[in-house]
Amino acid sequence: MALKHLSELKDLLVDKPVRRMVLAAAQDHNSLVSTLKAAGDGFIEPILVGDKEAIQAIASELAMDLTGIRIIHEPDTEMSVEIAVKMVRSNQADILMKGKVGTSSLLKAVLNKEWGLRSGSLLSHFAYFEVPAYHKLIAVTDVAMNIAPSLHDKISIVNNSVACLNKLGIEMPKVAVLGAVEMVSENMQATLDAALLSKMNQRDQIKHCIIDGPLAFDNAISLESANHKGIRSDVAGDTDLLLMPDIEVGNVLYKSLVFFAHSEVAAVILGATAPIVLTSRSDSDQAKYYSILLAAATARTE
Amino acid sequence: MAEKVRSSGLRHRIAVAWAQDLNTVGSLNRAVSEGFAEAVMIGNREKIIKTCRETGADPGRFTIIEAGDEKKAASLAVDMTASGETDIVMKGLVGTDKFLKAVMDKEHGLLPAKAVMSYVCAVEIPAYHKLLFITDTAVIPFPDLAQKVAMAEYAIAMARRFGIEKPSVALIGASEKVSSHFPNTLDYSVMCKMAERGQISSCVMDGPVDLFLACDPESVRIKGIDTPLAGDADILLFPSLEACNPFYKGLMLFGKGELAGMICGTSRPVVLMSRSESELSKYYCVALACLMAMPKDMN
Repeated sequence: MALKHLSELKDLLVDKPVRRMVLAAAQDHNSLVSTLKAAGDGFIEPILVGDKEAIQAIASELAMDLTGIRIIHEPDTEMSVEIAVKMVRSNQADILMKGKVGTSSLLKAVLNKEWGLRSGSLLSHFAYFEVPAYHKLIAVTDVAMNIAPSLHDKISIVNNSVACLNKLGIEMPKVAVLGAVEMVSENMQATLDAALLSKMNQRDQIKHCIIDGPLAFDNAISLESANHKGIRSDVAGDTDLLLMPDIEVGNVLYKSLVFFAHSEVAAVILGATAPIVLTSRSDSDQAKYYSILLAAATARTE
Repeated sequence: MAEKVRSSGLRHRIAVAWAQDLNTVGSLNRAVSEGFAEAVMIGNREKIIKTCRETGADPGRFTIIEAGDEKKAASLAVDMTASGETDIVMKGLVGTDKFLKAVMDKEHGLLPAKAVMSYVCAVEIPAYHKLLFITDTAVIPFPDLAQKVAMAEYAIAMARRFGIEKPSVALIGASEKVSSHFPNTLDYSVMCKMAERGQISSCVMDGPVDLFLACDPESVRIKGIDTPLAGDADILLFPSLEACNPFYKGLMLFGKGELAGMICGTSRPVVLMSRSESELSKYYCVALACLMAMPKDMN
């Protein structure tokens, strides 16, 4: 069943065990607000790792109640990240979220060979958009992590995203591999990769989804536009996942959906043993809140 | 095919370079006596007449033009065809490299600029229920993507001439899996998408597939692979000359096959075959070239 609104993520979490989310370097105004809201709504059980005094100061400033919330005091940022990651690894938490720490420090800890959260897959960014002009939620990957993914990387990125969509109840997500045109051209590597991904999907080398590409953006999201071009495709016009050729295209699309198309978005990092919520300061509180819900809806279920 | 050519009422003029071996003369003698060809034999006049006598052909049936050596014979044959005096050029006893050099000559040759030259064979084998078109047995050692696309187009065009409107094209590999360890499987995937998007002439294309999936419905059923070819391929495109060449020779030698083949990509049909080919195969090659030389609306 396709989702239409990000608020439907809440429905997916009803009657499910509450996920434990550890916030690394929790003395962070931005992430604390949405964490406490999601906790207050009963969707997650937060664990705050960081400078306890600073955390309490922010809470009182925001007039938020920390009663009953577990806080692990660790003033050193790097140590607090390590503690948070190890908690996920030892199954004391189901989701990792970034607080007042640089993205690169957090990812370095996630990728630590001894105690990190490596799953063998590539880490990739997954953004889930509610676009008013589209008939269902649409996922976009990768707009933030992988700069110029190779074919091999794209396979991992698709697999990560498809597994995530499957967990959200979309059994056979339709994946559009984006190009500038729907034709294959030797001069545009993205179109060649798209053709390869399609064939690998046909041969069951990439499972649990339907892949078509290259598709230009308009063909991917509008059946009328695909028909106009005479494209026969099971994906065109009904795309669940847009695979970006590279980060520049992805990032611009992401931002234009937010700023021009007034979309709401939720995002997680996939490919580790647990979902990672890694929002930036410029994200709205709503986006952060939905990102936490998205992580909760796709976290492991043992 | 031969029947179609015979009954067309057309007579094609063939320039033959260094036409002094038994099989060449024999095959042309049959084509001329069946009325669909006229032959201009270029070479050593005495030897040509002697060879005709040996095969029991009347030298008076042919136009004979004297040429000093095989290189001159090749360039004269190509010149005549380029200028429209003849419709088809055929290799006799001249070496393949000298012959092709004349064909590919930038000023006087028959190969348009940037055109890909390739080779397509139609093979008849008792073990298959229809003709198989295979490429490339003879010209391109390791075709790249653009060359493979051209090869597919030539084979599709030839199949059309045999009345197959939408031929099934199998892109042959060792298995049906896509793998960067087998670069041809990557080209094949790209070609399938090109066919899907209408960038290749109308056909049913799939690949990589192995020969079983291409030509044996039972294997398709057992393997459970969803392929539109369904074991009923018309065209087999091979990843390299060294894969395709032994395949056709195996069919000739062990599969009781007969073949008709020609060079594709040239402005006029070019008949070229191995010297060891049988007289019947050479006759079929001549007939094929005549078929391809026919105006398209006669098909």
